[in-house]
Amino acid sequence: MNNLKLTRKKGKTTIKVRDVEIGKDFVIMAGPCSVESEEQTITIAEAVKKAGANILRGGAFKPRTSPYSFQGLGLKGLKILAKAREITGLPIITEVIDPRDVQWVSDFVDILQIGARNMQNFSLLKEVGKSGKPVMLKRGMHSTIVEWLSCAEYILNEGNPNVILCERGIRSFETYTRNTLDISAVSVVKTLSHLPVIVDPSHATGRPELIPPMSLAAVSVKADGIMVEVHHKPEEALSDGAQALLPEEFETLVKQVRNLVNCMKEANPYFIKERK
Amino acid sequence: MDLKKVRKEIDTIDFEILKLLNRRMELALTSKKFKKKVFDPEREKEVIENVLRYAHGVISPEFTEKVFTTILEESKELQNRDYKLIGFQGEHGAYGELASQGFMKEGISIPLNTFADVFKGVEKGYYDFGIVPVENSLGGSILDVNSLLAKHNVYIVKEIPVKIQHSLLVLPDTNYRDIRVVYSHPQALAQCKNFLERHNFEARPFYDTAGAAKMLFEKKPDAAAVIANKLCAKLYHLEVIMENIEDHSENITRFFAISNKPQKEGNKTSIIFSVKHKAGTLFKILEIFAENKINLTRIESMPVSGKPNTYVFFIDFEGNSEDPKVKNTLEKVKEKTTFFKWLGSYDKGEVICE
Repeated sequence: MNNLKLTRKKGKTTIKVRDVEIGKDFVIMAGPCSVESEEQTITIAEAVKKAGANILRGGAFKPRTSPYSFQGLGLKGLKILAKAREITGLPIITEVIDPRDVQWVSDFVDILQIGARNMQNFSLLKEVGKSGKPVMLKRGMHSTIVEWLSCAEYILNEGNPNVILCERGIRSFETYTRNTLDISAVSVVKTLSHLPVIVDPSHATGRPELIPPMSLAAVSVKADGIMVEVHHKPEEALSDGAQALLPEEFETLVKQVRNLVNCMKEANPYFIKERK
Repeated sequence: MDLKKVRKEIDTIDFEILKLLNRRMELALTSKKFKKKVFDPEREKEVIENVLRYAHGVISPEFTEKVFTTILEESKELQNRDYKLIGFQGEHGAYGELASQGFMKEGISIPLNTFADVFKGVEKGYYDFGIVPVENSLGGSILDVNSLLAKHNVYIVKEIPVKIQHSLLVLPDTNYRDIRVVYSHPQALAQCKNFLERHNFEARPFYDTAGAAKMLFEKKPDAAAVIANKLCAKLYHLEVIMENIEDHSENITRFFAISNKPQKEGNKTSIIFSVKHKAGTLFKILEIFAENKINLTRIESMPVSGKPNTYVFFIDFEGNSEDPKVKNTLEKVKEKTTFFKWLGSYDKGEVICE
């Protein structure tokens, strides 16, 4: 914990991305798992914008478990995302998986995402640190909270203060859900660090029916936002179709989430100080 | 070699054939200005005889004749239509061509080597119009063009502002990770300096942005990209890797359309003049504009070549020279100048984007 000089500072960091202020407003990031085509991405981008999302997500480089699975459209995917931003006005977040691509991805998108599988890819962390772009660091599926924060420290140490943390579930003995959402980790990093924290209920559960309750749980622990996968034709999706919400389901979710955010405005669940 | 490679080469050749055909038709249209009639049976016979002499390999004389008869037919067909020819400096795809298309969509843009070629061609009537840049919002005035405006008997008929938007272009199927060097006009390289530095690219100056695109297509150097506009991607069979890579998005070049016949319409007027080398002479001229409440939009001085300490002044102002107030002003200005040239009244067009 002594090595978390920059991560454990007091205060609360806010990160401005176009019109959105992460760490201040409750942020809803939504979009397809992968950018599959211009038509698919723009359809979904317009749907999530209409439903009330603040940021568009979409993968152009996919770190897939199998080398035979869809690997993403690469640079072409980045161009499609930029076009979707032009149409909807939503800032975009996408994952970068290769240090050689960091500068290219930075030129196209607003927030870089480091995926769970690359959380401890230190050369990649240094590279995104140097880019100065906002970075969302997902928690590795087998990582402790301190290991996760150490990775944030790598990025901060390169002089990049714009780090967002993202809890996306960890491996446990439970197999019913894809991962186990560690909601308490959100509370821990909120008390230990100054960085905004986002919850990804889609990857944490892998089950659409669990996404709304986990999203509301995220609001209750005062997370700074959620990231949800949405697809208008989940059965045709090239990746992770099974966990995607339909646009109309997402719209209902946004309403419920925004309502709860309002109710929670005055509440401060962090009133008990750490006991020595 | 495999089928894919062979086909790719065939595609490239088809593309080159089309480009050459286009150049041939442009020259045929230019030749019309020198001829009395479009149809010249003597010349047609000569053309066919010429090409038959070069028919070789698998290309039979019959096929050669068939192809060139078709080309000649199309050439006559084009010459019979009343196309306006617009000369511009640079290769096809240059920003001057964007201005030309913005000025007259149905006109035919003819690439020329130098600004002087544009002025001479327009003055003599080989081209109906010419397109020349006068000023860039970042780089300032284009001296060559201003001195040619003073020298030649041409008139400004339209002002065309063009938004300069640079893209990074590569040969199809180039992996963006392999790019090491970037060719372009020094000014374009300077306007994308941050982008080039971020990516650690080596900037290599080239005489022209569109020329760099043409070179990339023809020579296919390794690990190379060019900075040019998107029109060049279409013309030279290149792929756009990234758009709007310039450091400052507000970058506008003002072009003038010129003609050897003045046109009287428009709400802007340009003049050139010299005054005696005496205290207050320039002030006296400006005073006339001020008294008549005429707004100046540009004032610029330019040294006269070969005559040290002698200057001519360019003034653009709001108003039409047929308007009594402007007419009166110009009469008074003429009296006080040692040299005076009216460059025309014209309209300012909308900003042209790619």
